[in-house]
Amino acid sequence: MGKILRVNMSDRVARLEELPEKYSLLGGRALTSQIVFDEVPPDCNPLGPFNKLVIAPGLLSGTTAPSSGRLSVGGKSPLTGGIKEANAGGVSSQKLASLGIKAVIIEGRPSTDDWYLVKVSAAGADLIPANDLAGKGTYEVTAVLLERYGKEVGVITIGPAGEMLMATAGVTNNDNEGNSSRYAGRGGLGAVMGSKHVKAIVVDTGEHFGARVKDVEQFRAAARKFTECLRKHPITGSGLAAYGTDILMNIVNEVGALPTRNFHSGHFDQAREVSGEKLAEVAVARGGKATHSCMPGCVMHCSNIYPMPDGKVCAPIEYETAWALGPNLENANLDIVAKLNYICNDVGLDTIETGCALGVLMEAGVLPFGDGEAAVKALEEVEKATPLGRIIGSGSVCAGKVFGITHVPAAKGQGMPGYDPRACKGNGVTYATSPMGADHTAGYAVTANILRSGGYVDPLKPDGQVELSRNLQIATAAIDSAGLCLFVAFAVLDDPEALPAIIAMLNAQYGLQMTAEDVTKLGQQVLRTEREFNRLAGFTGADDSLPEFFVLEEFPPHNTRFDIDAKELSQVFNF
Amino acid sequence: MDVEVRVFGGLESLIPGARFGQGIPLEVQEGCSVGLLLNRLAIPREKVFTMLVNGCHVTADAILKEGDRISLFPAIGGG
Repeated sequence: MGKILRVNMSDRVARLEELPEKYSLLGGRALTSQIVFDEVPPDCNPLGPFNKLVIAPGLLSGTTAPSSGRLSVGGKSPLTGGIKEANAGGVSSQKLASLGIKAVIIEGRPSTDDWYLVKVSAAGADLIPANDLAGKGTYEVTAVLLERYGKEVGVITIGPAGEMLMATAGVTNNDNEGNSSRYAGRGGLGAVMGSKHVKAIVVDTGEHFGARVKDVEQFRAAARKFTECLRKHPITGSGLAAYGTDILMNIVNEVGALPTRNFHSGHFDQAREVSGEKLAEVAVARGGKATHSCMPGCVMHCSNIYPMPDGKVCAPIEYETAWALGPNLENANLDIVAKLNYICNDVGLDTIETGCALGVLMEAGVLPFGDGEAAVKALEEVEKATPLGRIIGSGSVCAGKVFGITHVPAAKGQGMPGYDPRACKGNGVTYATSPMGADHTAGYAVTANILRSGGYVDPLKPDGQVELSRNLQIATAAIDSAGLCLFVAFAVLDDPEALPAIIAMLNAQYGLQMTAEDVTKLGQQVLRTEREFNRLAGFTGADDSLPEFFVLEEFPPHNTRFDIDAKELSQVFNF
Repeated sequence: MDVEVRVFGGLESLIPGARFGQGIPLEVQEGCSVGLLLNRLAIPREKVFTMLVNGCHVTADAILKEGDRISLFPAIGGG
């Protein structure tokens, strides 16, 4: 049940087709990864005609399940050369699901330089010429399309970086206020969309909760239960709403895992100046918001609206961005973080990769560490496609190659997020082994390593990290397939009633009898599929590793090294 | 002996005049535990989820030493 919107850009035809039976119990990441595995030759050029961009709401998306509107975007990554799934909040997932669309597949490549947008509504799908939108930033494109098609639409779009095929380009969609800032950021999927000359996908419906549910009464009871689980947990119930994700800045700094000055130390004296506490203070004082939802039906409200001195707003500023464009660059100015964040959103860049690239450039002496204005000027070159701009848009590994820097924090070609693997070893295992590359959400060991959520595993010791990362990678693959915001995991890890409530919702919606074991099997299957794609794409065990300097160099303040070896890392996927 | 305390994530509202992340110098007795320190600062035990001493997780019965840097947090999450 449900439809696939297949857009062939070689023939320039958009058509709706029936979802094959074999995909009926897949959604979100499970569906994007399976379709990529089934339809994309693993050895293809990610920017060529044989790659596909696959977009899918999750299994629960479009229902009244709380915090269930995540949108998965998948394909072969131009950054890692392997399979990629990136997901975002915003309004589009629930709108697609409400239209009965289980996946959007963009394939082929047009023979001319013309740009198009795809528009889908209850009436069907159209491919519409859109040369007038080419070259425009995502904020303008979103405003134009909301004006043209109505305030109720979802706009999935790319910035000039994606149009110019930069490997750091992401895919964004809007929140309820029209901010084009909810990014499926990692791995260059914006360039894949750009390579197919699709500038935007407009999802035209005002519905967010229109997905079909088989047993409405059972579903409602389970959803109520799950909402209760989220509300009563201190993190999901009030913590995230109070300060947002940037509340992590101070605790990651205090445990000495905050990558500072391009991953040379784990402590930044001025971390509190770019922390969640500071952000909330400034945002509220300037008439913005410290509490905000990125999607309808979210009960965790972790987002924020940060007014900038120039009158624009950056919504949200997340921890990863505040770290990557803050302590990683020795920048302690939150307004500079916001400005850099806004440019990334508009030009269409992944903020984590951008921060890593800028950090490498600073190490190379191209820009001074701590010079926020210089960072802004450099980032403004991306849109102008100067050589430096193109280097930034190509990511941290490229920047390192061009400027002769070996101290590049990346795994499988993707820049590392805001937790150093030497002081947060569980995350180090995830970075090294995830099919996604250096990805923190793929197996967020920070939970047990730093936040004492779901137990405690000492972040400075190698013990227990492989098991921790394995279990989290499996669980995350399942949550990513349900369309649930990953932050529900805080409740799931600590409250034994939360996972059964999720399973009860799935069973009521699809008429199933799933158990917790089935959820584990789903997560394992997603990982197996992704690893097999990567193997066929040329990845070997040697790619499940971290750059040498993490193993060789002691990392202050705790002076530890990443000491989990290849043999132990090879145990992560022993299922 | 002298130690330094930092509070975060709203705990600062429990200490008059405190700012998040700003070091509060304190003089404590030999053998003082983190739990005793919380009492001294009148911070209710149940409001503190994470206690760090010199960047490492400890429990409330951890005994403080000269020059220790104590960091206190409520329940925190993010990604």
